[in-house]
Amino acid sequence: MNQFAKLGTDIASLWAKYGGTYMGGIYRTLILATVGTAIGCLIGFLCGIVQTIPVYQNDSVIKKIILKIVKVILRIYVEVFRGTPMILQAVFIYYGLPYFSNNSIQFDGKWLVSIIVVSINTGAYMTESMRGGIISVDPGQTEGAMAIGMTHFQTMTSVVLPQAIRNIMPQIGNNFIINVKDTSVMFIIGFTDFFAVHKSVVGATFTYFPSAAIEMIGYLTMTLLASWLLHILEKKMDGKSDYELVAVDQLTLPAGVYHVGSGKSGKDLSSDERAVLQEEKARKTADKAIIAAERTADEDGKGVRRDGRT
Amino acid sequence: MAVHNGRAEFAAGTADAGDTIISVRHLSKKFGTHEVLKDIDFDVHKGDVTTVIGASGSGKSTLLRCINLLETPSSGQVLYHGDDVMGKDMNVPGYRSHVGMVFQSFNLFFNKNVLDNCMVGQIRVLKRPKEQAYEKALKYLGKVGMLPYIKAKPRQLSGGQKQRVAIARALAMDPEVLLFDEPTSALDPEMVGEVLDVMSDLAREGMTMIVVTHEMAFAKQVSSQVVYMSDGVICEQGRPEQIFGNPQNEKTKEFLARFLH
Ligand SMILES: Nc1ncnc2c1ncn2[C@@H]1O[C@H](COP(=O)(O)OP(=O)(O)OP(=O)(O)O)[C@@H](O)[C@H]1O
Ligand SMILES: [Mg+2]
Repeated sequence: MNQFAKLGTDIASLWAKYGGTYMGGIYRTLILATVGTAIGCLIGFLCGIVQTIPVYQNDSVIKKIILKIVKVILRIYVEVFRGTPMILQAVFIYYGLPYFSNNSIQFDGKWLVSIIVVSINTGAYMTESMRGGIISVDPGQTEGAMAIGMTHFQTMTSVVLPQAIRNIMPQIGNNFIINVKDTSVMFIIGFTDFFAVHKSVVGATFTYFPSAAIEMIGYLTMTLLASWLLHILEKKMDGKSDYELVAVDQLTLPAGVYHVGSGKSGKDLSSDERAVLQEEKARKTADKAIIAAERTADEDGKGVRRDGRT
Repeated sequence: MAVHNGRAEFAAGTADAGDTIISVRHLSKKFGTHEVLKDIDFDVHKGDVTTVIGASGSGKSTLLRCINLLETPSSGQVLYHGDDVMGKDMNVPGYRSHVGMVFQSFNLFFNKNVLDNCMVGQIRVLKRPKEQAYEKALKYLGKVGMLPYIKAKPRQLSGGQKQRVAIARALAMDPEVLLFDEPTSALDPEMVGEVLDVMSDLAREGMTMIVVTHEMAFAKQVSSQVVYMSDGVICEQGRPEQIFGNPQNEKTKEFLARFLH
């Protein structure tokens, strides 16, 4: 039991001296993960949308070719950045760009490279998520939208994307949490995130375990908080699970609406109107009766009426 | 059958006016090597209610989908007021906004409530001001008896209610023609009636419709023209009393015998 007490006092004294340093690490980790995830999502949304642009038979050849090329390039981007470690990507870009440009492109801050690397890495994953999210929206709704004359762009913005984004919210959360943890690899180019703080602190104090405990608590706090916020956001996006029935007489009905229970009562009508309405009503009833009778007759028949349909 | 004759006379009157909205000419559709539609020809005049009947797999849905270009025909033409809808200068989304479609599986927008389902097309495609779109949506939702549900999301509705909203959504675009692809086939039996009622009302008001259906009573009662399809060809077409009362083609006779004893 007194081991715990000892750990408590060790942590307290460590925090008293290096609290600000740890907080600085948390701050940098959070900013990098947040900005990287946000830009990554944006990249992923755009690439995912492009990946799912349909090609129609009667599109021009030029459009078909350009689209094909762009889709291949995006495919390569996704495979390369998903298929290599982020730590290596960081090195590759941090040292690679100056190398190839004879030092005319240099990075003076670690921030820029770190954000670029995290963003394009997240973007590669989100491209695939977004593509999946778009494909998973029931194609019937796309047809419904096209059938009322919406263009592909209108269909996407009004119908498909809101549902696709809602569907991939859990993946966005996943990516954020992964980024909070995995941005620690940016130490390779000298970015001092939360984990790098641990290394520099223990280098001076040799209090490995108490510092690791602080790190554990710190990371868990960040990720739990993120999960919780995301959960709230998802709930908000889903809206209410029930709905109110609207009382018809509270709506301002446009002229010409005759709805059962909301129409004019007989005494407000002129005799002509009344005659027309009555005739109408009689015809409706007669029609309905005939249709209903024949439907029952069909059903009573041999029970074959419903055969042969899908 | 006085009601029936009244409808038929009405339709005949308008058809004679020669106001052709859609003409299908030598239409054929292949999926790979499978020829699903072969040399289809027919006209739809203003006010016509054309019902398309036929066995499963005979190409009825494909025909409707070719008319509003959800499928691209392999050859032949679909003419809209005489213009080839596959022509170079045809604005396809614009054309589709004049030709509404009601699907077997409703295809409502799940991210929008009932009211927004009926408004979004008006606002984005027809560029109507919001107030006008709202009024139109209410008008047609009232017509199909769905006013109390304007705040509900599609997943909160029954099948019959969904289909009535889908009809209101199509009507709110003020289409010239409405295509129905087996609008009651996915419904529980007790909900079929409510949807057929709405469709009968539309027919009576002079709405031009092409209806693929297995509801023979409805076809007999409401249509002005019946098209019987078998294996991708139109075997027989004519007035309902002719097709149902005195079919000429052997295949039509056989098909109808299965339905009407
Ligand atoms: N996208 C497609 N690709 C390949 N074949 C298809 C496609 N759509 C339809 N078919 C084929 O075309 C034929 C006609 O199908 P269609 O859906 O038009 O029939 P239907 O008359 O509507 O039948 P049902 O009454 O069952 O709805 C069928 O043999 C079907 O397998
Ligand atoms: Mg079908």
